[in-house]
Amino acid sequence: MAQPLVKKDDDHDDEAEYSPFLGIEKGAILQEARVFNDPQLDPRRCSQVITKLLYLLNQGETFTKIEATEVFFSVTKLFQSRDLGLRRMVYLMIKELSPSADEVIIVTSSLMKDMNSKTDMYRANSIRVLCRIIDGTLLTQIERYLKQAIVDKNPVVASAALVSGIHLLQTNPEIVKRWSNEVQEAVQSRAALVQFHALALLHQIRQNDRLAVSKLVTSLTRGTVRSPLAQCLLIRYTSQVICESAGNTQTGDRPFYDYLESCLRHKAEMVILEAARAITELNGVTSRELTPAVTVLQLFLTSSKPVLRFAAIRTLNKVAMTHPMSVTNCNIDMEGLISDQNRSIATLAITTLLKTGNESSVDRLMKQITNFMSDIADEFKIVVVEAIRSLCLKFPLKYRALMNFLSNILREEGGFEYKKAIVDSIVILIRDIPDAKESGLLHLCEFIEDCEFTYLSTQILHFLSIEGPKTSDPCKYIRYIYNRVHLENATVRASAVTTLAKFGALVESLKPRIIVLLKRCLFDSDDEVRDRATLYLSTLGADDAVVETGEDANEFLFGSLDVPLVNLVTSLKNYVPSDEPFDISSVPREVKVQPLAEKKATSKKSTGLGAPPTGPTATVDTYERLLSSIPEFSSFGKLFKSSAPVELTEAETEYAVNVVKHIFYQHVVFQYNCTNTISEQLLENVTVIVDASEAEEFAEVVSKPLGSLPYDSPGQTFLAFEKPEGVPAVGKFSNVLRFLVKEVDPSTGESEDDGVEDEYQLEDLEVVAADYMQKVGVSNFRNAWENMNPDSEKVDEYGLGPRESLAEAVNAVINLLGMQPCEGTEVVPSNSRSHTCLLSGVFIGNVKVLVRLSFGINGQKDVAMKLAVRSDDESISDAIHEIVASG
Amino acid sequence: MILAVLFANSVGNILVERFFGVPAEERLHWRSFLVKLGADNLKGVKNEELLVACHKSVYIVYTVLGDVSIFVVGKDEYDELALSEVIFVITSAVKDVCGKPPTERLFLDKYGRICLCLDEIVWTGLLENTEKDRIKRMIRLKPPTEF
Repeated sequence: MAQPLVKKDDDHDDEAEYSPFLGIEKGAILQEARVFNDPQLDPRRCSQVITKLLYLLNQGETFTKIEATEVFFSVTKLFQSRDLGLRRMVYLMIKELSPSADEVIIVTSSLMKDMNSKTDMYRANSIRVLCRIIDGTLLTQIERYLKQAIVDKNPVVASAALVSGIHLLQTNPEIVKRWSNEVQEAVQSRAALVQFHALALLHQIRQNDRLAVSKLVTSLTRGTVRSPLAQCLLIRYTSQVICESAGNTQTGDRPFYDYLESCLRHKAEMVILEAARAITELNGVTSRELTPAVTVLQLFLTSSKPVLRFAAIRTLNKVAMTHPMSVTNCNIDMEGLISDQNRSIATLAITTLLKTGNESSVDRLMKQITNFMSDIADEFKIVVVEAIRSLCLKFPLKYRALMNFLSNILREEGGFEYKKAIVDSIVILIRDIPDAKESGLLHLCEFIEDCEFTYLSTQILHFLSIEGPKTSDPCKYIRYIYNRVHLENATVRASAVTTLAKFGALVESLKPRIIVLLKRCLFDSDDEVRDRATLYLSTLGADDAVVETGEDANEFLFGSLDVPLVNLVTSLKNYVPSDEPFDISSVPREVKVQPLAEKKATSKKSTGLGAPPTGPTATVDTYERLLSSIPEFSSFGKLFKSSAPVELTEAETEYAVNVVKHIFYQHVVFQYNCTNTISEQLLENVTVIVDASEAEEFAEVVSKPLGSLPYDSPGQTFLAFEKPEGVPAVGKFSNVLRFLVKEVDPSTGESEDDGVEDEYQLEDLEVVAADYMQKVGVSNFRNAWENMNPDSEKVDEYGLGPRESLAEAVNAVINLLGMQPCEGTEVVPSNSRSHTCLLSGVFIGNVKVLVRLSFGINGQKDVAMKLAVRSDDESISDAIHEIVASG
Repeated sequence: MILAVLFANSVGNILVERFFGVPAEERLHWRSFLVKLGADNLKGVKNEELLVACHKSVYIVYTVLGDVSIFVVGKDEYDELALSEVIFVITSAVKDVCGKPPTERLFLDKYGRICLCLDEIVWTGLLENTEKDRIKRMIRLKPPTEF
């Protein structure tokens, strides 16, 4: 079809419309690149072709290996041209093509020649290109030139060498570290950028040497720093030195504080903000130290530049988390930022205000936020919702206004994550503020009337089933729940049936009516809904309505599933239908995460020795199968727990040995996994000789040697000990690997007939209290805690002495007990002075244990801990205290 | 580390994208995220007015220059302040090469030189040169004037 004729009456428009790269096509450009091979080079044409190649690469186009090689070889021909513009393009093109190691050799001689050229700019550029493409061997050859370049008089050459050094430090640290004298000299350069790059490199070279960094900071804070960028680096290094030196904050003379404070008066805004940020982030910063920093940050809040406003409010937001009172002076300026065009700034302003506001300002603030919420994206709304949640927990009396706000935004449009954040917040408020419960539950009920997210509907129905029956008038929730049975998809309907049943079980007066409703559900179109209705009707005793709901029914309805879901699924899949019914107690309770040591071992083997991939990772199941296949261990009963492998040799040794501790009720089995990494050896009759003199309660009963251990084919030897029944006996075992070694001819693989007895010392092994504890979590700790007999509770307080941090102390206790942290309580917020950690586990003998740990830390970093334990067996509560007392 | 420098035209087509240390599979995500960020916020923004956003520990400073939007992404030491310095150098250099805030056509006409400028400014994720006059000389392999 003919193109319609368009009159081109405006040449200018026409020019603007067409791109010089219109219709550009890789194949054609690669053809064009043949001009690089012309004997008479046309620099202008070559530059144009390189530009086109760059355009393709910058659009995300990739070249195949062959294409790239061809272009690279052609480009190297362009070194013949003396045209400066073209040479500059060639340097860039080589970097973009990043040639492979075997191709690099083609250009190295040209680049080395340029590096020794009298033209400085050739030198600078060739250094940058060479450092991008060479490996360690070649680097050693040009090291001398690079060292000279670092102290070159031309700042461009010096900067090129220094920035290259920063990159090379990642790949060849030992070589770059040898340049520190030259770099040190460059730090004193009069050229601002050279000083900046030299400072960055010198710090990276010496970052692990605290004294050297401290000296560097001391000398530079007294001397001259020529560029704001370098000044910012120096401020960062200074705060690092302050953080590492145990300054005496009590007397107020913190080292280098005066320097940071003086930077607040620097002429560059970047430096002022960096210094203010460094001061606010000082450990244990006092109000007196904070004041000047907050004052300058306040000034930046009204800056005309968004970046400065953002930087200031971002810093104040962090300060507000730890020192809200210090930021209150900025409240008026921050309120002005709520209407800031830049939504990131507005959100930061609001969340800061929510932290610094007092009780009386809450209503006013909520009004402002309501207007703001309609025009921000969901991700910002989530941040605001989370801030409101914390505010409500801080001022519980204001729950009405805040809960209303949450319920209003719940009705508006929004994505899943946003709605989930609101629902989570309402749930938390209901749990923590008793007065908010009834209104909160009604808000949630109204929400599920028109909720498009199945996940949220089912979560809310589940929550209603726990909290609803405990309210003053449970009857009013039934309508909302039963409506779900009519109006929703099968998943929500099934959840609604369960919720109804729980109301029936807990509220005796509602039971007859609930039974009527459940009977109607028997005609549902979905199997799961009908099955649930049938099951619950029988559990509630629908045939005999006068019978009170029994303990069994409650346990069935409210008891948590005490086996991990993943394990249950695996066991059900493995279950072969037969006369014998499925036994839920046969499901393993331990949640198995692939231990790091095993992962490492796998990857090491596959790369280091080129062995075939190892079999599937050992799980509880495979351990159980392995142990039950050994007749000597068949009488030990059911396996309680298997530990993660403990390495008994260092990496890269002749023999690699790790051990897995298998705990039974009355026995402990050590499974030594051995690997022979010497191809010229065959080991036979491999055993581990154990000295158990520091493990008095253990008596060796069985030793199972390994017949033969050829090169790179792992094998196991076992050792079993008897210990007192159900007692968490601990002890230390020293190990020696004993074997018969035979020489092997690597070419034929045949071994000699005669061998020599030899021994190999292994690391010691300990059986600790944590080995007797399974990590088994609970979904709702509070419920689980309340359902456990309060008489079993044992409480005591412990002093843990001075610790590095609160987080370190919390971790140490978690590791000592070997229990599962619940509800994310293992994470300690930075700067907090106290923390509560919730742990759950099953102790040997299948005794459920729950632990509540409350920690506090004082100014001298002394940590005190209160330990409360509840368990199915009172004596186990005592045992947990003993573990902590002796740990 | 500067993670990315990206230029797009007024309708969101990529003119230049350079990533540093960003895995190939994440680049597409970054590209569409930045283009959307620009489409949402850059309408009516004056030339070289800097906008800022952050996502977790990554910062983005972006602006508009003529028909071209410019985005710089960084993390760690390259926070919003350092990135604003980087983008200032980039906009100055582009203006210098083009003689004015460029139309898309003008930008593409000067494409080769702009690539060279970027090569002088950002060296695999680190800021190397900051003065437009020096950069102007260096892309022609001329030594800096002060030397």
